[in-house]
Amino acid sequence: MVVLWQSDEFNLQIRIMKKIIIQGLSIIVLFFASWFVLLQINWVAIFKIEKITDKTEEKLGELFWEIFQKTEIENVNPFVVSSVDSIVTKICSANKIDRELIKIHILNKDDINAFALPSGHIIVYSGLILNSDNQDELSGVICHEIAHIQLNHVMKKLVKEVGLSVLISMTTGNGGSEIIKETAKLLSSSAFDRNLEKEADIKAVDYLVKASINPEPFANFLYKLSDQENEATKYLTWISTHPESKERAEYIIEYSRDKKISYKAILTNDTWGKIKEKLRE
Amino acid sequence: MINVSKFAYLPGEHEAEKASNSYLMSLIAFIAGLPLPIINLIATLIFYLGNRKGTYFVRWHCTQALLSQLSVLFINSFGFWWTISIIFTDEIITDKYIAYIITALIFNLTEFIATIYTAVQTRKGIHVEWWFYGNLTNLICKSES
Repeated sequence: MVVLWQSDEFNLQIRIMKKIIIQGLSIIVLFFASWFVLLQINWVAIFKIEKITDKTEEKLGELFWEIFQKTEIENVNPFVVSSVDSIVTKICSANKIDRELIKIHILNKDDINAFALPSGHIIVYSGLILNSDNQDELSGVICHEIAHIQLNHVMKKLVKEVGLSVLISMTTGNGGSEIIKETAKLLSSSAFDRNLEKEADIKAVDYLVKASINPEPFANFLYKLSDQENEATKYLTWISTHPESKERAEYIIEYSRDKKISYKAILTNDTWGKIKEKLRE
Repeated sequence: MINVSKFAYLPGEHEAEKASNSYLMSLIAFIAGLPLPIINLIATLIFYLGNRKGTYFVRWHCTQALLSQLSVLFINSFGFWWTISIIFTDEIITDKYIAYIITALIFNLTEFIATIYTAVQTRKGIHVEWWFYGNLTNLICKSES
């Protein structure tokens, strides 16, 4: 009799346990099911998140470029512009990047610097071209900046450091010109964080290899300029804003090691020499 | 989802008040510590520990209040850290994130309403057992007799 009563009690316990497990599981299922159902709706489009950032980006790009246009001298020499353009066109077509998106500008300045602005503007200082030993080094830097644009690093950095609200207020004309200038300076003279830089370096190597450009000179460029004895040290903005250049050169070499294919020059040596000549004028 | 059933005995006025307070506690903590999901759990846990030696009715409702906080804690913690990673790292707002936050809101709201309802009912001495949590509490919380 006692044994029978105990087994009844035991069965009851099991039944309750089962009930609890089923009920618990159904709550979990209900949670994931509602998440899944809600996932079918395109929330980002409803809240216009992308649209806001796209439009803001376009306007910011224009605003910042205007500032550089006003304060620096743009090199509009057709030979230089078309030659650099042809490098960009080659990289873009080999990597299926919309060529219209990348707007490259060359500014006459001794600083060894290149940087990306929102909405696909890339600014390269003549000092960087003059200090590149060959066109592959320049191509490497251009690829690195294109990678920043394609990976959306520029807007990420701006949102993180300035804040989306300030950025939007700039585009609606409420931001003071001082803030815009300061933000433009931030883009030209400070690096992204290390992970983003590495990501852009690796992507740049991919772009270079696809465009049949040897990535090694890009690494050499970093090595060369990280050398403190180099006479160009005082103009080394691109290197001082991009820390650990040696380390970067090393992982670029490491990453591109097994990607050896035949490389083709985009410009002839003559053209490259002429670009430098024109820039020195 | 919410089941009103008969308790083993009729709780006294004082018991009903204490039991009701355990739900109120989680509500207040929920509002006060809104951004940090752990706060309401800690609040109900303190209340639970304080009433561990209370009467069966009080213990039972403290346990249910505590257990109900646990599941919301998981949902909210995940949402909380996801939001933090969007603000401070490279994560961006996606459909997945928004859908998650809305689901979390619905669950929180359901819990919030259920908690208010239960707090009111227990104050009147009516025994309210929640779906799943009620059974779980029955399993954990036994009458001493």
